[in-house]
Amino acid sequence: MKSRRWNRQVMMMGYDHISPWMQESEELPVEMSARVRLARNVSHLPFPYMMKGNDAIAPVLEKLEKTLTGYRRVEMSGLQFEDKALLVEKHLVSPLFTKQGLLSYISEDESVSIMVNEEDHLRIQTMGVGLPMMDLYRKADAIDDMLESEVDYAFDEKYGYLTACPTNVGTGLRASVMLHLPALTFGSRIQPLSANLSRFGFTLRGIYGEGSVPLGHIYQLSNQLTLGQTEEEIINNLDELKERIVEEEMEMRSWLESEHLLEVKDSVYRSYGLLKHAYRMPLKEAAKCLSDLKLGTDLNLIELEGFQFQKWIQLIQPAFIKMRLNEKDIEITSLEHAVEEERAALMRQLLGGE
Amino acid sequence: MSFSTQRSDEMKCESCNEREATIHISKGNGFEKTEKFLCEQCANASFENDFSYPDDSFNIQKLLKSLSEHPSLQQTKRRPKQCATCGSTINTIVQMGKFGCPDCYTTFGSQAADIISRVQAHQSEHVGKVPVKARAQLKTKKQLEQLKGELAKLVEAQEFEEAAVVRDEIKALEQAGDDDGI
Ligand SMILES: [Zn+2]
Ligand SMILES: [Zn+2]
Repeated sequence: MKSRRWNRQVMMMGYDHISPWMQESEELPVEMSARVRLARNVSHLPFPYMMKGNDAIAPVLEKLEKTLTGYRRVEMSGLQFEDKALLVEKHLVSPLFTKQGLLSYISEDESVSIMVNEEDHLRIQTMGVGLPMMDLYRKADAIDDMLESEVDYAFDEKYGYLTACPTNVGTGLRASVMLHLPALTFGSRIQPLSANLSRFGFTLRGIYGEGSVPLGHIYQLSNQLTLGQTEEEIINNLDELKERIVEEEMEMRSWLESEHLLEVKDSVYRSYGLLKHAYRMPLKEAAKCLSDLKLGTDLNLIELEGFQFQKWIQLIQPAFIKMRLNEKDIEITSLEHAVEEERAALMRQLLGGE
Repeated sequence: MSFSTQRSDEMKCESCNEREATIHISKGNGFEKTEKFLCEQCANASFENDFSYPDDSFNIQKLLKSLSEHPSLQQTKRRPKQCATCGSTINTIVQMGKFGCPDCYTTFGSQAADIISRVQAHQSEHVGKVPVKARAQLKTKKQLEQLKGELAKLVEAQEFEEAAVVRDEIKALEQAGDDDGI
């Protein structure tokens, strides 16, 4: 068996921790992090998937970098598979970007990332927790204005901002918020809810994984349409729908509390026991247990010092766990087992177990 | 799902059977576990499926393929129209589910309009933000349209004196536009 120690660029750059913006945020009962993305393209230049080489985009980047102070340039070509995975788990880049993207500009607190040559030439992304969605949009909007002063955007009077995929044309705006919806999931209310939302041009989807119950009961609400509405309308509608879903989740939680308290308590404390005492933890199980603990703390059924659902959910992701293994320089026969062991160890440690 | 970088010296990628397997992927847990040893390329492909990043919220390719039976998207001439900037044809666009470049939107006029309207739930007009640079241009254009309409009315009403004033305004606006390089 070989010992492993990689020279991990992403770790050297300091992307091996929870992002500062998330570190500093307060956790809410249902609402998790939110994201706003603007898709922008340079006029008269083939879209990234049609580009032959990167020569055509190089002069654009030179101009952009004049305005981008305080951003770190992270090039995809030099990164290992797992470095990329870590950036994906932190939502700093998209999975598509890890395959074909050129480079990304990431702000110091990691709340802004500008991807170059994802599906579009530029994708400006802002992230935050507990902020009004409009604040996130304003931030992206200001960056957009800044970049536009250096670059000629592809814009059409009729269709708005032109994008590679017609699903983004118009505003190029995709706003999304992650929601923790355990009660709506237990009550089988997600399907009808999501069918209703799609009539208004919004979608509610499980994040991570295609299974019927998404990892940790976390869903993402986002706008589907980008044309025919102003940015403000899209953001306000999304905010309003989010509030309605949060209300419904809270109602379902009251119902759970009054009708199924014993069941809820049982699953909360079972999960607590598992996280505190298990020696192997697959991702799915850990996420489910953390979701139970979050519901338990929200309903005041259990008190946990220092428990932070959103941050812990990120810490149990494969690339984060793998990184801890790297640091240990251990010898192992199966990395799969090592990851599950390390995840369990992390949970025990965080919950003050053995 | 989890993955690891395995330094197996003799193993070939289970997916393509060509390159060396460098990454070990396993899904599921307990009794239902699938394990695979893949090369980086094949692992990247499976990686993408596992982190479904809900951005483009529905399968555009599928939608556009169903559109390819639509009469306006079908090839009628022998030589298909090509975008001068990027070389795309309506076929490649439908196949990829993407336009090749910004100019495709104008090159494929009514066909592009058709695709957009279907993908965007019958919406066809942008009403949101306009880039700062385009704002002045659009404002001038709207003003010109308005003045030209006025001019036509005045001419029709045979109010030539006023028409001359409007005509001069139009000229001035058009020239100012040229000076700005618009
Ligand atoms: Zn392969
Ligand atoms: Zn084109």
